[in-house]
This record gives sequence, C-alpha cells and structure tokens, in this order.
Amino acid sequence: MSRRIEQVVVVGADAPAWMAAAALRQSVSAAGIRVRVIELPTLLQPADVYSALPELAGFHHRIGLDESLLFSLCKAVPMAGQRFSNWSGAGPPFIQGYDRPPPVAAGLAFTQLWIKGRQKGLRTDFENFSLAAMAAKAGRVPVPTQDVELRSTFGYNIDAAAYSALLRNFVTRGGVETKMAGIAELELDGDRIAALLLADGERVEADLFVDASGPQAALISRMPGTELDSWREWLPCDRMLVASAKALKPLPAFGQISAFRQGWVGLFPLQDRTAVVAAYDSRQISDQDVVDSLPALANVPISGDAVVSSLTQGIRKRTWVGNCVAVGESAFSLEPLDAVQLHITHYCISQFMTLFPVDASAFREAELYDRIIRRAAVNLRDFQFAHYKLNRRFDTPLWDGCRELAPPETLQRKLDLFAARGRIPLYDDETFQEQAWESLFIGHGLMPQSYDPRVDAVPEQEHIAQVQARLNDIVGQVEGMAPVDEFIAGVNSEQLQRLKPLDEDVRHLPTRTMTENMGAD
Amino acid sequence: MQQVKDIVVVGGGTAGWMAAAAFAKVLGTQAHTITLVESEEIGTVGVGEATIPPIMQYNTLLGIDEDEFVRETNATFKLGIEFIDWRKRGSSYFHPFGMFGANIKGGVGFMNYWLRWVQSGGDPDFTHFVAEGEAAREGRFARVPASPDGQLPRLNYAYQFDAATYAAYLRRYAERRGVIRREGRVVDVEQNPQSGYIEAVKLADGTRVAGDFFIDCSGFRALLIEGVFKAGFDDWSHWLPNNRAVAVPCERVEDPTPFTRSTAREAGWQWRIPLQHRTGNGYVFCDSYLSEDEASRLLLERLDGKPLTDPKILRFTAGKRRLGWVKNCLAVGLSSGFLEPLESTSIHLIQMAIMKLFEFFPLRDVSPVLIDMYNREMDALYDHLRDFIIGHYKVTERDDTPYWRYCRSMTVPDSLRLKLELFSERGEARVLPMDLFGETSWFAVLHGQGLIPRSYHPIANTLSEDELQLAVAGIRTAIRRRVDSLPPHADFLERCCAARPAATAP
Repeated sequence: MSRRIEQVVVVGADAPAWMAAAALRQSVSAAGIRVRVIELPTLLQPADVYSALPELAGFHHRIGLDESLLFSLCKAVPMAGQRFSNWSGAGPPFIQGYDRPPPVAAGLAFTQLWIKGRQKGLRTDFENFSLAAMAAKAGRVPVPTQDVELRSTFGYNIDAAAYSALLRNFVTRGGVETKMAGIAELELDGDRIAALLLADGERVEADLFVDASGPQAALISRMPGTELDSWREWLPCDRMLVASAKALKPLPAFGQISAFRQGWVGLFPLQDRTAVVAAYDSRQISDQDVVDSLPALANVPISGDAVVSSLTQGIRKRTWVGNCVAVGESAFSLEPLDAVQLHITHYCISQFMTLFPVDASAFREAELYDRIIRRAAVNLRDFQFAHYKLNRRFDTPLWDGCRELAPPETLQRKLDLFAARGRIPLYDDETFQEQAWESLFIGHGLMPQSYDPRVDAVPEQEHIAQVQARLNDIVGQVEGMAPVDEFIAGVNSEQLQRLKPLDEDVRHLPTRTMTENMGAD
Repeated sequence: MQQVKDIVVVGGGTAGWMAAAAFAKVLGTQAHTITLVESEEIGTVGVGEATIPPIMQYNTLLGIDEDEFVRETNATFKLGIEFIDWRKRGSSYFHPFGMFGANIKGGVGFMNYWLRWVQSGGDPDFTHFVAEGEAAREGRFARVPASPDGQLPRLNYAYQFDAATYAAYLRRYAERRGVIRREGRVVDVEQNPQSGYIEAVKLADGTRVAGDFFIDCSGFRALLIEGVFKAGFDDWSHWLPNNRAVAVPCERVEDPTPFTRSTAREAGWQWRIPLQHRTGNGYVFCDSYLSEDEASRLLLERLDGKPLTDPKILRFTAGKRRLGWVKNCLAVGLSSGFLEPLESTSIHLIQMAIMKLFEFFPLRDVSPVLIDMYNREMDALYDHLRDFIIGHYKVTERDDTPYWRYCRSMTVPDSLRLKLELFSERGEARVLPMDLFGETSWFAVLHGQGLIPRSYHPIANTLSEDELQLAVAGIRTAIRRRVDSLPPHADFLERCCAARPAATAP
C-alpha cells in the first residue's frame, strides 16, 4: 500500500547533519514533509578545519546560504588548489589547481600539445599551463573572466566548528525542530527502523531516517548487512592528528601537503590561524612521536594542543537499508586529502535529494542510490590512492609498499591509458575531471609515451605559437586577479554570487541536449 | 612494431567513405597513405537514412558546409521521429530532439512538474512542451539558436538524406584529399605468421594491398574482424527479433515533413523518410511472423506515392561483434554490429567508432590497453542504444498479433529492466552525462509507449498551484512564439539548400 513520506528524521552532528537538514528543508518542507534533527554530541575539535571543493558553492546557493558569511564568520580563505611536496623524492613539488574543464569540443586538448612539446624539448612544466596553479603560486584568487577555454575557480578552507555553528543556526532559524540527544537503542522491524529510543526515553518514529553522523555511522551500522569494507589495503594511514599554528602572512592561495616517512602533514591556511593536519600509519610511528616531531614536520611552531583520532577508510556494504539512508562519511570515508571530506557529504545529499523516495512503504530508490554512491566512492578512493601509488620516496616500507601494490583495476586502467596515450578514461559518477587527474599524474611524474596523432598535423610554428599564447593568457589573467588578503577584505555577497558559476552543484539535472553533449554548439 | 602509416579501408558505402574522409582530414595523406578498397559488384546497403544531431560534429570536423551538404545529398531536416500505432492502434507520440520544457526552480527535471500538472487536469500531450515537437507537427523549420535573453529555445535538428549520395559526396571529398580508391573484391588476407597482424589483402585480380592498419567496412560479411580474427557475435534476436527489411523509394507527393515517421505494423514497423526528391520507405519485420513476399506486398500497398524501383530485401541479425578492435583491425559499420534503424543510430555508430579511433589512435605500437578501452567504450554505447530500442517494444499495449504478444512478454536486459522500474515508479530515467539518449528521449518514448509513472519527485509539489500554472503557461507561450517565428520547412529548404535537378537520382 503505497504512501507518501511525511516525516524525515536526520541523525548526526556538525556540518553533515546541518547540511542534510538544510537541503531537506529547502527542498521538501514546502511539500508538507516534516524534517526533524536529532543532534548527537559534536565530534569536532577547536583545531578542526574543513577543506572544501569549489562545488560546495553550488550547495550553498541551493540552500540559500550567503557565502560571504563564510568569510566573515568562519575564517574562510579561498584556495586555488593544493601543493604536494616530498611525494616524489627529488622531483619538484607541484600544484593541483581547481581549473575548470574546457568546453566539450571535437578539437585537440592542450595537454596533448604539451606532451608532444615535452618530447621535442619543451622545458616548461605542465603546471605553468594551469591557470589555477599559476594563480596559486602568485598568491591570487581565480575569478571567472570572458575566456571560455581557460577558466579556474576557487575552493576554500573554513573553520569547522564555526561552519557547523553557522549551518546549525541557519537550519534552526528556518524552523527545523532540533533536539540534542544520545541514542540508546534502535528498534528494528526486519529491514526497517521502527523507532529510535533516545537516552532520555523518547521514542522517535519517522518514515525515513537520514544517518548524517559521520564515520561513527550511528544508524546505518546497526542495520543488517552494513559492515564496513575497509580500504586500508590501499590507503595506509589509520591515525589523524589536528593542531593549530599561527596564521600565515601573507595568506597563500593553496594548502600545502608534505609527505614524510610515515604519512603526510598538511597546512590549511585560515584567516586567524593555520590548521595543521597529519595523517599517518600507526604501524610505522606512534601518536606521541608524531606529536613530538610535528613542529619539524610541519615547519611551523604549534600553538595549543594536538588531538589525535583514528581514520577508517572504507565503505559500508549497503548505504541505504529499508528506511535508513547514510549520507556523508557514514556511507564511506577517506583520508582528509584532496578536500574530499565535505564533498562526500555534499555528494551523497545531492544524490539523495534527486532520488528522494516517493513511497514510504517500499524504497525502490535505495538500490540505485547505493550503486551511484559506490561508484563515486571508488573514483574518489582511486584519486587519493593515486598519490600513494605514484610516490617516488624510497625511504620507508610505507612508501615502497604503496608503490609496489597492484592498484584497483579501475585505477590501473587510468594509469595504463594515460601512460600509453595521455588520455584519462572517466567512469560514471566522477568528481574529478580530466584536468584534475592529468595534473595529479603528471605532477607525480607519470609521463605519457605517446599523444593524440592529430597533434602531428599541427605545424611546428603553430604549435609553438599556441603554447606561447597559453602562457601569455595565463600571465595576463593572473595579473588581473586579487591577492588573497585583498580578496577577503573586499568580499561581499553580491560579488560572490556573480563569481561562482552555478553548474558546480553536483546535482544531476537533465539539462543537456544531444547537441550540447556532442559540443556542436 | 613500426609506426602506423598505411591505412587500408576494406569496403565502401557510408561506413567506408566516412572513415576514409575522416582520416584524410585528420591525419592527412602526407605522412600516411589511405587506401579504400571497394567493389562495384557488391551492392551497398543504404536505403535512405535519417540521422541524429551528433552528425553535425562529424561534418564540422571535416569542414563540410551544411548548405552544400544538404543540397548534394537531397537532404531534408529532421526534428525528431513520430511513432504511430506503437502504444496501441490509433495512438501517436513524438520523440523530439531537444529538451522537454525548461528548468523551473527546485532542481528537478521539468517532467516532474509536467506529471503533476497532468495529474491535476493539464493537457497530457507532451509535444506542446518541446519546440521541436510543435514545429514538426506544423511542418515548420529554420536554423535558430536560443534567443540571447534565453526566453526562446533553440531548435535542435539532424538530417534525412540519401545515403548513397552521402557516400558519393564523401568519396569526392576523400579522393580530392589524396585517398586512393582501389576497385576490386577482397578474396584473401595475409597475416604475419608470428604476430597474426594483417599485412595485406588480396583482390580477385591478384593485386595486393598492404597496410599497417585495416578498417573493416565489409558490412555483414565482416571479412576481417570475423573472417580472420573470429571476434565472435553477441546475438540479440531474443530481444530484437526483427531480422528483415524490405525497402523501396516512392514519389514525393507533398512537401517533405521535417521528421521521420515510424508506424508499427503487424510484425514490425514501417519507416517513412522524406527527402527532397523522393520518399524513402521500408518495412522492418521478423520473418517468423511474416514472409518476405507478404511484407513487400503490404509495404507497396501502404505507400503514399508511386514506387520508383522494385522493393529490395535485406537480411540481418540484431547484435554486436564481441570485439570491435583486434590487433590491427577495426570494425566500422555493419561489421561491428547491427541495430535496426528505429532511432536512426546506424550512422552514429559509424561516426563514434571513427571518432573513438582517433582518441585511441596508435602512434607506434598497437597497445592492448588502448584496444581494451576502445572495446569497452563501444560496448557500452551499443548496450545503451540497444536498451533504448528494446524499450519501444517491451513497453506496448499492443497484443493484436503473435508478434506483439511476444514483444510485450519477453524478458529484457537487467540494465533496461531497472530503468523501466524506476521510470514506472517516479518518471525518472537515470541517465549519465554523456549518454546519447537523455532524459527527454527516455521520457518521450516510455511515456508515449504508455508507461505512465505512478508518481514524480516530491520537490515538484513545492510550487503552489498558481506558480505551477504560471510556469507551465510561460513555457508553452515561449515555445509557441518560437514556432510561430518559423517558416514552413519546404520554404526554408527552397531558400537555403534546394537540391539541384542534376542531383536527383532514382
């Protein structure tokens, strides 16, 4: 007997819970669906930072959150990308920037021109042809211009506790009922949650439960068949440390990720401090040793305490069971690398909203949601593992092990094809597009043996001219960009609205016609 | 292994000349030799083709001027396909190019709002909400982009043309650019004894044509990919039982319609493709339910003009070659597989095989990695198109003949089954960004065939009644304004690209 969803309960804490609640309130409340949040104790430490991909701006726009508040209340700093150092032994550091994909076209990708150029003696690094990387190096914030080919945008670092508070405020002011509580027990009825029994005795029933509780997976882990499939075999770090250091002056436009013998340490600039995050393998080094050597590893003095916690990379065997759907790290989690943590939540929420169930008696959308999330998760995992796979440190078992490991087949195919031909095959549900994978592979030193033969049809003079033109265009654009401090000082809501193209939201919309897909525009 | 320099295309027709012309343009004949071997003795299949919008990308790649191309091939413009009697006798629906409605706030597709609107009494004719559909219904056409203020939609289109003259057009193009044509029938193939790579083909007159890379455009015979490399064939006749087509052109009796018509018949379906100089017709059917003679008779009876030749019979099996690329041989066209022309996909498959080859083209070694990726991607494309076509048959209310009773009750691939279940639940056909057939196409066909979703995305309920009416009315008005601005299709053809009398041929 089919019936509509009438009541949704979100269980979780911090940004994930409020993001889910905000998305629900904005989308379905007006249709008469009641949304309620059971707020679990926060998992955040004062030193925590969220690193966000540019796509998050689309989410904020959709829920109606004024992004200038991130700058005024959450200490946000715009990021043009991340810089990876010491992952390649003697190889130079490289920047992975937030370049936007060029328009779909039948023509030649610039990367192909570069590959051939390199083979013919071109010395300029690939990074110099990335608008975002060059902006990052110059400490400037990319903003959209008229140029259609060369486009870049920015993500940001935000103070985690401040951001969660901002979203919480936003959601509760919007009228969503919230209660702080612990969960004592789940009352299961076969595959469904019949009710939550809270620690204070209240019995909470709903048509649909959203588990936004992060890696603790308070609800989904108690449903049948949802054990965690671990990815520890590929991603070696099982411990994480967070601390703070002084703010950097002037503010850089990139985060810095340095590998060390037993893991990596990242510096994430915020307006009033620098968040220091380390991920490492407890089999190789103890928590105490990392704390002690942190100032040396991070190359900055540490203020205050360092807090350690565990990392469990992996994915639940099922992410939607009965009337319980996991969004965010309750569904799958990775390392705090490549700014994926918040994105995981954003992505799951978007897919869930697209598939918001129509029938509370039979959740037929579950299977499709699970498949989509799984594919997206695998692609993100491969992206992170690629850093490890391509490392050229020869100093410890951790790095040797990762390099010698046979990667998942999905990644192997990307590596093989890129090595052969400079082409990246994209699968379904990819977050990172070709240019992100290219800059990762080339940055780590993977050089293709061959290139698109259409490049050979380009006369040498013209080839050189195109390469030169691109360099000049980039220099010209970067010159017109504001330095980070200046950008932050001048931030206001309208400016931010104009700056971020709206197609960054991951929501899947049927907007492209066949003609547009084939780039015939 | 040395660099790939000498390319041999075995077989002409649309597939062979599309391949040769594209190579000539992209690779050129300075650093490579491009040879095409075809035999006048062997008839080519082309029976009057309709296409889909991506063909413009192919023409653009070659630098072909659209007006010249339309003139030279007696082409007309196509806004979509009209499906008559597919849902049940007396029904009709339109599968348009282009987008259904427009994006209303909320981030869910227009179909959800439309479903809600229909449920509360709105007009259940979906064609009113697609510019291409309305234009087709009224016989209007022009090349128009979206208006700068975004208020009026663009018109998406493709072509209907004479495949034989298209092949001839491309042959002229290719030969002008240095492609060498060899007349002759391939009777033998030489392979390298160690590697198994094809080194040359031998013609009936003893000539030997050597090469580094071979394109198999030999049609159903698949001389190289199957004859030499035994790639294997996945037979899909349990899902797509049609295995015959009888085709005949007839006199043009009225202005050409800017769309293709597909009419469901007792044991298959009949196509009507209007060209400038005549109309192409065919009956695609399954010979387990209807004999070739009977099908020919019925087709002739149902023409709207005098037939211009005797009907021609084609025999085929629906399915795909298990491997499209083996060693140094790539199958393009019918040698790589066959799907009936229900959604005008044949030329598209040729185009995609060629474009993908460019993406993977081996500079030096032919690498197993490249071959594997190519084969996977072509497989995925074939499967996607197959599922879409099967959907037309599975989802029908017709049960008036044994043929339709079979189609209604057959099992379908899981990939399609899941799509149908989801659509039936909530009117959504999960598509991926690069899928050829997007949301609008799936919606037009499945809804048109009679699969009415039980529900729609709850976000569509967030608009008030007034807001919904306003949005819907706004879209309809914009589409009406666009269509009203268009001239009749025949007038447009006359003005821009009327075929010269010399170009007409039986």
